[in-house]
Amino acid sequence: MRLLLPISASVLFCLSAVSVAEAEDEDAPAPANVEIHEVVDRYVDEQLKAAAITPALQADDANLLRRTMLDLVGRAPTSAEATAFMASDETGKREFTVDRLIASSSFARHQANELNTMLMQGGSGDLLKYLGPATAENRPWNKMFRDLLAADPESGADQFLKSRVKDLDRLANDTSVIFFGVNVSCAQCHDHPLVTEWTQSHFFGMKSFFSRTFENGDFLGERDYGLVKFQTTEGEEQVAPLMFLTGTVLEEPESSEPTDEQKKEEKKQLEELKKNKQPPPAPSFSRREQLASVALEEDENIYFSRSIVNRIWYRLFGRGLVAPVDQMHPENPASHPELLAWLARDLVEHDYDLQRLIRGLVLSNAYSRSSRWDGDDSPSPELFAVAMVRPLTPAQYATSLRIASMNPSWFPEELTGEEFEKRIEQVENSARGFARMIEQPSEDFQVSVTEALLFNNNQRITSEFLRDAGDSLVGKLKTIEDPKQVVDIAVRNVFARPASDDEARVLVEYLSQYKENRLIAAQQLVWALMTTNEVRFNY
Amino acid sequence: MTRRNSSGGLSDQAISRRSFLGSTLATTAVLTAADMTVLDALQSPAMAEELKRKDKRVIVFWLAGGASQLETWDPKPGRPTGGPYRAIQTNVPGIQISELMPKMSQRLQHTSIIRSLNTKIGDHGGGATLMHLGRRDESALKLPDLGAMIAREMGQIDSAVPDYVAFYTATEGRGGGTGQSGFLGARYAPMFLTTESKPADLSLPPGIGEIDHQTRADLRQLLSNRFSEGRKSSSLGSHNEAYARVRGLMSSEQLFDISGEPQSIRDQYGPTLFGEQTLVARRLIEAGTPFVKVSRAWWDSHGQNFETHLELVTELDHVMSGLLDDLEQRGLLDNTLVITMSEFGRTPNINASLGRDHFASAWSVSLTGCGIKGGSVYGKSDEDGQTVADGEIGAAQVFATIFHALGIDHEKEYYVGVRPVPLTDPGTEPLKEVIA
Repeated sequence: MRLLLPISASVLFCLSAVSVAEAEDEDAPAPANVEIHEVVDRYVDEQLKAAAITPALQADDANLLRRTMLDLVGRAPTSAEATAFMASDETGKREFTVDRLIASSSFARHQANELNTMLMQGGSGDLLKYLGPATAENRPWNKMFRDLLAADPESGADQFLKSRVKDLDRLANDTSVIFFGVNVSCAQCHDHPLVTEWTQSHFFGMKSFFSRTFENGDFLGERDYGLVKFQTTEGEEQVAPLMFLTGTVLEEPESSEPTDEQKKEEKKQLEELKKNKQPPPAPSFSRREQLASVALEEDENIYFSRSIVNRIWYRLFGRGLVAPVDQMHPENPASHPELLAWLARDLVEHDYDLQRLIRGLVLSNAYSRSSRWDGDDSPSPELFAVAMVRPLTPAQYATSLRIASMNPSWFPEELTGEEFEKRIEQVENSARGFARMIEQPSEDFQVSVTEALLFNNNQRITSEFLRDAGDSLVGKLKTIEDPKQVVDIAVRNVFARPASDDEARVLVEYLSQYKENRLIAAQQLVWALMTTNEVRFNY
Repeated sequence: MTRRNSSGGLSDQAISRRSFLGSTLATTAVLTAADMTVLDALQSPAMAEELKRKDKRVIVFWLAGGASQLETWDPKPGRPTGGPYRAIQTNVPGIQISELMPKMSQRLQHTSIIRSLNTKIGDHGGGATLMHLGRRDESALKLPDLGAMIAREMGQIDSAVPDYVAFYTATEGRGGGTGQSGFLGARYAPMFLTTESKPADLSLPPGIGEIDHQTRADLRQLLSNRFSEGRKSSSLGSHNEAYARVRGLMSSEQLFDISGEPQSIRDQYGPTLFGEQTLVARRLIEAGTPFVKVSRAWWDSHGQNFETHLELVTELDHVMSGLLDDLEQRGLLDNTLVITMSEFGRTPNINASLGRDHFASAWSVSLTGCGIKGGSVYGKSDEDGQTVADGEIGAAQVFATIFHALGIDHEKEYYVGVRPVPLTDPGTEPLKEVIA
């Protein structure tokens, strides 16, 4: 059914480039049966050594716990969680904590949020209905990809296509960017100026997989006919081949344009189905299904598997092994090509298990370095010698602020298991409204002055985070006479770490200005702590 | 709750609080990400030139829905497409405009009319996006709009005033690229006023006095600066910068309040919302805001085109001429570029509802003031206004001309990853005839 047909010399080159890279991978000595984190450190350390750079020290316990929790469960630790982790001298407490977090329901919720952001790219609608159950059962990534292309309306998986079906150019490009790490939009008007491998055929080939998809009422349908035509830069009209990004062209049954009469009939039928709220009939040959199949085939899945590895790496490290994440092509090699190849292969061999990948990455030493660099020149970011400071997502920020603003007794140490999870979920839900006021960070994110004004002057900050109530931090602090204790509790609650001596001294001195009004003192202190960059970023 | 320090005057205690933090802060100065425009300026041999352009300003009248060129800048009296209004002679020999603009007709010495736009896109969303971005939208790259690019090129990093303000109180035509900073980031996003004429969160929240508001900000800064030590990140820097701008922006709140303007000035702009927002725009640019857009909606006259335009053009004529007079009196017109534009114009053909429909094939914009050769007309539509007869241009040339008039290199490139993105599409040239 399928036909390998390289359509031009440039595509041939593209294929050969990929196979050369593959050949190198096979020389790579990292065997398959090693733990992921060991492989990560092996390759990252190798390059550090070659560059004669001594990496930053490992982050301290409080720092590491906060980073790990933000990445795995989407929030900073409570004061009690931080205290317990720091106090524990159990060997293997890090691994134990990571496994406990991954097993929690907040992990699945956070993964769903993160995947939703990645898949919807700020478009309208969301995929949470689909992603909730999918992440809860750790559905393999290749299966999710198939589901999203199959677009079953029952499961909510159709939102990926539905939110883009009105703009097929966007659908084609978003699919390339999100699943394959390849941005072919430049090739829409001309062959890619930087990447000789990417031609107009690559863009319009991708578009061809979606060109028969349409919306009919609440349902998506796919036709059995229709070709994509485009103008070359020479002004010549061409029919786009049904071609995947690797240059592989798929064979398909001959299709002919229906007559006007047939079209009229089809339209009538579709109107009828729309009225009865029924889906259009399935095509006898689905181009979308072809894309799902070809992209996952053994010789073709390099883009698919490497792209998701790179995106997860980006999420956890703040920079992709290939940066930016949508520029995976021979002219923009990975910082650690063997590592990327190994991780991608490992992912495929383990049934596209994202949990396993995430677990492996967060257990590496490369992940757990300090974000502070004391030397003069900070090393090049692609060496991963020092942890990057990453802006929080709206959900991470809002939930963490919420927890920081609550009376620590709301999360007592003895509260565990389901009971505790339930309370956390409540907090996550109550943080959603505020999260909508925060911007989703992109690469090279800049905090807007609108956000700073919001935190300075919006009434909502006072009412959500500085309330004088029994369940709030401010309410708790107000009752405490000793300023040292006030500072100790406040810093632990907001920063999830103890205050350093000089910090405590400065803060106690600050509070002494407000001796006669402990409520104001508490509000001033909590506001100043909560709005610092330490809380705004994952460091 | 007892409040202190909320009334004026610094108490001794307040002063000591300030000096407490002041001394601590002084010792923890931290380097935040430098503004790239400043760096560019310092590296450029034409540094003086670069710095000079910093006091140039732009006010855009965005006529949402699509203003008719025939009832404004390009009348066709006596033709079947001309409609009921006459053309009148302006104070510039040889140039006529619609009789609905008598005031502008006597002030045309500062204005260049461009009558030959063929922008090809005839739907509101697509047209608005095109005329905001100066180029086709891209699915994969979020492009910055005119205001964001000008804010980026001319705004000051520590400016106490906002550098891009967009009034958009009517709902018509909002969205679709009408206020996006794209890859330039939120730093250059507009302060977008949709419900009120005053921006949100500019004044002290209830329940806190001036001094407490300041000292908690100082404490925040102290803690944040400590945290930033040894951590290099432009996002981190932007967080500190955004907070550092808050006090300045709060002091700009009075710019949005026109109640202190003399009645004679208020009359000059008129009592309409559009007039009042334009007066705020003048106050903003006078205080240093480089870009203000004032949107006036409901130009989409598919029916009753002539009544609609009688009302809207008359208002535009009054507000625009009021603004130009005011700018001139204050010596600001040489530094301020005033632009009228829409997503497209309107059809020469008059439909059965006595309306005019969407028309992108031959329509007009106007540029007035800073860097513009006043009293001129660029391009020509045919005698019925159906096609461009001479000097056909698109949105890109208008943008290049705007940049050029402001002293900005329209070929300057931003980098998105490895991809260069010039201010205007490659190969675009400014209209030399329009530039002074």
